[in-house]
Amino acid sequence: MAQITDKTRDEVKEVVLDFFAEECEMELDEISEDSNIISDLDGDSLMFLELIEIFKKKFNLNIELKTIGKYSIKNPVQTIGELIDMQLLIIEHENNILDM
Amino acid sequence: MSNKTAFVFPAFITEFTEKELDFLSENSIDFTNYLQRASSAINLDLPEFSYSSNNYRNNELKSQLLAYLFSCAFFDIAEKKGVVPHFVVGYSMGIYASLYAAKSISLEEGVKLIHKAYTIVHELTKTEIYGMGAIIGLPIKDIEYIITESKLDADIININNEHSFVIAGKKKEVNLVLEKAKEEGAMSTVELTVNTPYHSKYLSKFTDSLKQYIDTIPISNAEIPIISTYDQREIVKVSEIKSELIFNLTCKINWYKTVQKLLKKGVSDIYECGAGKDLKKISRFIKGDYRMNLIYKILKEPKKDSFSI
Repeated sequence: MAQITDKTRDEVKEVVLDFFAEECEMELDEISEDSNIISDLDGDSLMFLELIEIFKKKFNLNIELKTIGKYSIKNPVQTIGELIDMQLLIIEHENNILDM
Repeated sequence: MSNKTAFVFPAFITEFTEKELDFLSENSIDFTNYLQRASSAINLDLPEFSYSSNNYRNNELKSQLLAYLFSCAFFDIAEKKGVVPHFVVGYSMGIYASLYAAKSISLEEGVKLIHKAYTIVHELTKTEIYGMGAIIGLPIKDIEYIITESKLDADIININNEHSFVIAGKKKEVNLVLEKAKEEGAMSTVELTVNTPYHSKYLSKFTDSLKQYIDTIPISNAEIPIISTYDQREIVKVSEIKSELIFNLTCKINWYKTVQKLLKKGVSDIYECGAGKDLKKISRFIKGDYRMNLIYKILKEPKKDSFSI
């Protein structure tokens, strides 16, 4: 189980914001933790998957996509802030996220 | 990388970028004229289009025609600007726009083909309700397992990319597959708004009637090679085009392999030529050294940067 620090949160936030800014061709200051992924950013599940792949590589995570799929049905995210929190939980708990 | 380009044509428009009409009008294209030409070709009322109206949204035939007409209109701008790709590919029913771009058929013949193909295969829906769905984020082997284990009458009929698959079959069973896929951990599942199981075995019984009709349509050799989404071969000759029209409706397609084929042919830039950005979205998780952009990108560039064969 990985230890989540303020530094980890900052790192995850930076990756998420950079990713959406690039994908949505928006300026970084146009995206905040309150931005709605679907209605404000036109996000979709493939974007979400791509972000997960980035974090899998960055943090060398042992987690199956379908585990995240099962988790996200019960815990859907709507905003960038919620997405950052979910990524932190994935980093922290990896495949055990469903046991939470 | 040999810097070749390809135009890919969508079959449907999930969501408009809402830049489409402005862009057409900035380029002196009157989209109403395309709707009128299509309407006259098949004697079907095609009302004025607006982003907010439901005139096209809930009608399978009209939404196919709309996607086709937008693709043709965008291609006309490209051609006017001297921008011609090395290859064209149609995603699913986008095949008709690829034939238009390759100068194999006229705008009106494309409209007639879409209308007739729809009418022929729509017969199927008079006796049974069919449907299609997309599954994102579940491995293909898990989807196959769901289908075989539960003995469901549905098939995977397209691989969009490493994480996105399309299924077709009897509507009830398609929905069951989607439900079970979600339980198994699919990131998302979507029931498509069609009642026809395109690219599936259910349509093979219409092969003869489709062939008969296609033989009545004037078709020319392709001036731009078309890549088959059925078996990824390069198509130029009329006989091959006719076969592909049948394969495209009645057999499974593979978008992932088709894009891989483009890359093997030296394509480094792929442009989605049509409304919306569905193909750009599904290009995620298609590996390779290439760029995928909407058609606006190349058409807005100065002419000196344009390309041609």
